[in-house]
Amino acid sequence: MPSIEGKDIKSVVVACEAGMGSSVLLTTQLAKQLKPHGVAVTHSPVNRLNDDTADVVLCHQGLVSRARQAAPNSVVIPFQMFMGDPAFAKVTAAITNGGTLDG
Amino acid sequence: MSDMVAGAPAAESGWRANVQRFGGNLAAMVMPNIGAFIAWGLLTALFIPTGWAPNESLAEMVGPMILTLLPVLIGYTGGRLVHGQRGAVIGAVATMGIVVGSDIPQFLGAMAIGPLAAWVLRKFDDFVVPRTKGGFEMLVNNFSLGILGVVMAIIGFLGIGPIVTSLTTVLGNGVEVLVDNRLLPLASLLIEPAKVLFLNNAINHGVLGPLGVVEAAEAGKSILFMLETNPGPGLGILLAFWLAGPNKAIRLSAPGAIIIHFFGGIHEIYFPYVLMKPQMILAAIAGGMTGIMTFMVTGVGLVATPSPGSIFAYMAVTPRGNFFGVLLGIALSAIVSFVVGAALLRFSKSDEEPDLDEAAAQSAANKGAKPATPEA
Repeated sequence: MPSIEGKDIKSVVVACEAGMGSSVLLTTQLAKQLKPHGVAVTHSPVNRLNDDTADVVLCHQGLVSRARQAAPNSVVIPFQMFMGDPAFAKVTAAITNGGTLDG
Repeated sequence: MSDMVAGAPAAESGWRANVQRFGGNLAAMVMPNIGAFIAWGLLTALFIPTGWAPNESLAEMVGPMILTLLPVLIGYTGGRLVHGQRGAVIGAVATMGIVVGSDIPQFLGAMAIGPLAAWVLRKFDDFVVPRTKGGFEMLVNNFSLGILGVVMAIIGFLGIGPIVTSLTTVLGNGVEVLVDNRLLPLASLLIEPAKVLFLNNAINHGVLGPLGVVEAAEAGKSILFMLETNPGPGLGILLAFWLAGPNKAIRLSAPGAIIIHFFGGIHEIYFPYVLMKPQMILAAIAGGMTGIMTFMVTGVGLVATPSPGSIFAYMAVTPRGNFFGVLLGIALSAIVSFVVGAALLRFSKSDEEPDLDEAAAQSAANKGAKPATPEA
């Protein structure tokens, strides 16, 4: 399973089905938190992900196997809820305070 | 938290990912073009004879847009997904064959021929490009696309167009039978569970939208646009979680989710609530059926697909004289989903611990402190 150090994360992509709805919502929220740390946050349809898309992929639990197939060497972090999910806190914490993300 | 991550891959199996992927591709051909659909929907709502500001000359745009522009855009986008800009262009050319060969809006046909034409061109390019002499690339590229485009347009005109037309007719007749026999609410039995499995866009943009647009082109409106997109059931479910949710963190998260769901139209926001309490799917189905029944009885429809499924998008594509039925259906479905959902949440209070470990772990992590309070 791929893993990455928080300080090595330069880009995060939020993937959803169409890449136009829920992922954009989350991208806006995450970008506010992560931009000061020099991390770019983008959004994408899960079908168009690949290993070059970003260092870390965030997507809903229900899409995670497709995300892993599309980007097998990227760290894929699933979340359950669109708001207040611990996965977001985990990614943010790894970037701001250091730490390893597995996924 | 980490076991939630580790347990992830086993939770879903290959077939679901495959269905999602297929549906996702259908939706991916339609969704980037929704803005054009809205332009068409607004033109229709305003300028057709029964619209808000009837205008015969401006209404002349309505037909060509739905019959030609929108299918060509879908074919273009479908081609682009397969083979970039060249795929897009040949997809658009090939779609014209289908468009001219039939008198219904050929969304489904465009979804078939666009990617197919692009795939043929990609195979051709894969073979020919390495064998092309230097300096002849542009000549070969332009003529290969042009010639293959004509061939694919003819195939569409003679083959795929008629097949899709008869398929659309059969499906449309099936829907009519369901409507006539008042069986259409049964659709919720499939739609609501599929929605929360993230097949919402596939169902709406891949199936119901293309069928609805055929009906809307004839009748001026279609109920099919409302089957999946009704924000009422999701609203009812979120209200139930707000007032009767299993723990405080979940209850507190619901109002924000309601705004994003109902006004922003991002239905995905309520899916996790249902997934955490799967019995809530019954509330979604009950609300969905109520909504469809109300839409059916009041005889309302929409002129175009409301995307995203926000109350604002609904109002924008509701034809004149249909507001009462549309709003009533949304309201009733929200009420029914709320009542059923709240009852289900109350009944399941006693056994909440075992099936809620994830959400509980998560809310504990959110709050940092006390475990879910066992409220009465």
